[in-house]
Amino acid sequence: MPDPEVATTKVRFDLNGSVAAVDAPIGQPLLTTLREGLGIRSARGTCGVGVCGTCTVLVDGRAASACLLMTQQVDGREVVTSEGLVGDHGELDEVQDAFLGANAFQCSFCIPAMVLTVRAHLDEHPDADAEDVREALAGNLCRCGSYPEILAAVDELVAARAADDVAARAADDAAVDREDPR
Amino acid sequence: MTAHTSVIGTDFPVRDARDRVTGSIRFVLDHAVPDMAHARLVTSQLPHARIRSIDTDAATAMPGVVTVVTGADLVDRDGLDPYFGDQRADQPAIAIDKVRHVGEPVAVVVADSAATAREAALRVVVDYDPLDHVVDAEEALELGAPTLHDAHPGNDCGAWGLHRGDVDAALADADHVYRGTWTTPPGSHVPMEPHVCIARWEDEAHDGRTGNGDDRGHGGRSLHVWSAAQSPHAVRTALSGMFGLPEDDVRVEVGNLGGAYGAKGQVKIEPLVACAALVAGRPVRLELDRDEVFFTIGRHAAVVRLTTGMDAQGHIVARDVDVVYNAGAYAVTSPGATRQALVRAPGPYRLANVRLRSRAAYTNTVPTGPFRGAMTAQVCFAYESQLDDIAADLGIDPVELRRRNLLREGDVFATGEELEDVHFTSLLDDAATAIGWDEPLPATAPGRVRGRGLGIMLKSTITPSRTEVRLAVDTAGRIRLDSSSVEMGQGVTATLVQLVADWLEVDPDLVDVPAPDTARTPFDTTTSSSRTTFSAGAAVRDAIAALRDELAALAAGQWGCDRDDVEVDGGTVMRRADPASAVTWAELVAASGRDEVLVDGVFQSRDELDSTDPMDVHGRATVHWHQGAAAVEVEVDVETGRVTVERAHGNCWAGRVVSPLRVRQQNQGCIVFGLGPALFEQVVYEGGQFTNPNLSEYLLPSILDVPRDLTSSALEGGPDSELHGVGEMALPGLAPAIANALFHATGARVRDLPLTPERVLRALREAGATPDRATGTIPERASDPAGTGAGDPTTMGGASAHA
Repeated sequence: MPDPEVATTKVRFDLNGSVAAVDAPIGQPLLTTLREGLGIRSARGTCGVGVCGTCTVLVDGRAASACLLMTQQVDGREVVTSEGLVGDHGELDEVQDAFLGANAFQCSFCIPAMVLTVRAHLDEHPDADAEDVREALAGNLCRCGSYPEILAAVDELVAARAADDVAARAADDAAVDREDPR
Repeated sequence: MTAHTSVIGTDFPVRDARDRVTGSIRFVLDHAVPDMAHARLVTSQLPHARIRSIDTDAATAMPGVVTVVTGADLVDRDGLDPYFGDQRADQPAIAIDKVRHVGEPVAVVVADSAATAREAALRVVVDYDPLDHVVDAEEALELGAPTLHDAHPGNDCGAWGLHRGDVDAALADADHVYRGTWTTPPGSHVPMEPHVCIARWEDEAHDGRTGNGDDRGHGGRSLHVWSAAQSPHAVRTALSGMFGLPEDDVRVEVGNLGGAYGAKGQVKIEPLVACAALVAGRPVRLELDRDEVFFTIGRHAAVVRLTTGMDAQGHIVARDVDVVYNAGAYAVTSPGATRQALVRAPGPYRLANVRLRSRAAYTNTVPTGPFRGAMTAQVCFAYESQLDDIAADLGIDPVELRRRNLLREGDVFATGEELEDVHFTSLLDDAATAIGWDEPLPATAPGRVRGRGLGIMLKSTITPSRTEVRLAVDTAGRIRLDSSSVEMGQGVTATLVQLVADWLEVDPDLVDVPAPDTARTPFDTTTSSSRTTFSAGAAVRDAIAALRDELAALAAGQWGCDRDDVEVDGGTVMRRADPASAVTWAELVAASGRDEVLVDGVFQSRDELDSTDPMDVHGRATVHWHQGAAAVEVEVDVETGRVTVERAHGNCWAGRVVSPLRVRQQNQGCIVFGLGPALFEQVVYEGGQFTNPNLSEYLLPSILDVPRDLTSSALEGGPDSELHGVGEMALPGLAPAIANALFHATGARVRDLPLTPERVLRALREAGATPDRATGTIPERASDPAGTGAGDPTTMGGASAHA
């Protein structure tokens, strides 16, 4: 609920593929705007200082701490939360699928943010190996100690992507062969 | 009817697994109620002070501020006792007259929005008269120390003892006597989800009665609370006592918890939020900031003085343990927890002569409570570290020394009780094998050395305790288990579904386990102390027997036959003589005209320690003993003092495993969680100030800290074995395992947690194990494992790796 004393500005951004338009108090953290005004629940505040990673969202495809961003900073940009990774018909993103398959969660408070961090890293570095992704996850804390399952999920996912790559390259090669019978 | 397939022992998934991954599961954090106002705390900046005055005018004058509540609003208010506490009602909902630790709530600002409340809280001015403060527990017990509570002179917050045999005589006769002091600093649980609570006063009583005026107190209203709490009934009892309400007029709902580890046990912010809602006349929500979570509850710091006498053959002949715990500013569970701590202090060893003392002192620090591995990790660090010192001194392999001394079936424990279901040697063997105890250590880079260590522990569970459940079958044949066991990611809901489905021989998809709600779900002591699988399991078993009886009686009534002629099967009932008579439970319930058939199940543990004389505690300490071990291989950078855990193994006695996955998650979770307190977590007080209440300076283990090789095992008995909770078993052994591995690798012994690089470097210097600055080589000592002399055939096989 905006405080009458606090100046607000209109902020428009793309949130999970739809337009979000809000009157946000100047300096209001993006996390507050998402949770209190826009019904987003998967981004969760924990440390308030950008070190725990549980409020991670994607801004123009890059992982960012929503507790540190002011709402005004995402004006005109594209914000994706965990909700936005789920397809229109409930299909899970490959990262979500990998986490689910590896039972990579306990209390689950930190998990959607972990998923987004992995998503962003793989999008930026499609050839990343499991070690790279592990490094990328260093800023996402899990107190239950689900890291072993999270690492297993990452291993599985990276291996599956590599296998898909090989298959795709083979298919491409086959297609090239057909186009160019030499 | 299809043949029933057992689901116990399978990795049956939690039903909301998908929602946990996508983020659509709901925490109390996500809950809201209409017309809800938001609270913000004003907390004490002084460790100990009288409150002279609180100026709330500027805050109250702000538009959007509903009210500012202080302790003065709570005293002399009709029908309100503003103090609460699990064992001593010594804690005010909001500070009254004085503050006793930095971060204690002094005022609560309630406003239309959280932002306004936050802004207004900055405008509350508190004027204090500072008092002398005390942070250290041993200092607090000295004569002349500042007194926190007039009712508890000497800052006494629990003192217990026992003496079995004759320790002094046995120490005098011992061939070797070892003495040492081990310390654990204050710590913090740091659940990712902060404490959060909503309180609403309602006109209608929860049992449907309408308010009938002042005779029920607070205008005849009842209190409805949503809280991230591990013990919903403890919250209900406390609020009912404070507000003079019948327990039925306090309703506590708990959803999924985003982690707890003990931090959300007993009663925390609920009294404060309920008081704020009462004064504000509106529902009030409070979500703590991270620093306020640090200020709300922490782990007991401890000083452990341990003396052990040995005979020449490597048998412990006597042990004397004196533990001083730091309770913090309020008792919470400390008076009783120190009694539990007493029986956890001697370790899992045969001790003919044993003397134990366990005390807690009030200090001007954050109140403390159970912390994963509660009142066990502190003492285990001492007794398992000392055992490796002894092993080195006597030239006996640490595993062999343990094997000679571990408790066995039928041994008499320090409390005088005869032990059964004892599995320590199996756990020891498992841990040693898993870590490759007898294998050579791998080669390391220059300046690095490796070593192995282990630690083993015993832990009692909260005793006595009680768990009730209700089991219902409805006209659709669906089965509902009403339980107040709290889901915090450990998977208790899935475990309960498994137990109900397995024992009732029905499809697990038919079984629902709704979230705890004291208006609907029956009493449970708490979801903590690794007690739930066992105690809720026992209550479920009891309910299932009752349900079979009830269904048989119902069928017998409908059929006009003797109930002994009715056979109750998974999902059906029939007359024994006539298989064609079989009807489903759904049909049976429908024919009865009832909505559902409902039965109760109860678990009540009656054993209890006798502490009529607090210095002569004896009897049966626990319904069963928790047993577990941890083993590690570490690499030590002798230039920086950094210790890296390369391999780790956690195990536990699990009795009968309900879900292998979830046992593994608990064991591995213990190892990962335990790396923090072992290596870097500590709350630091300076001048009474809590200097690091944030995640930049209070470091938690990250994914990069996870050992490259991390394994777990659950030791099981037969199908008739008891169920065991397993949430803490691998944790207490971890810190001594790491300290012992450091000692094995370098001869350096650190007796204070955490094992920071500074401490390790200091110990390396003392052990003469720092590298030669000119040559960069590590002195011989560092390659002599455990300082035992590499030529001794009983030393660990890994010795040769460094030679």
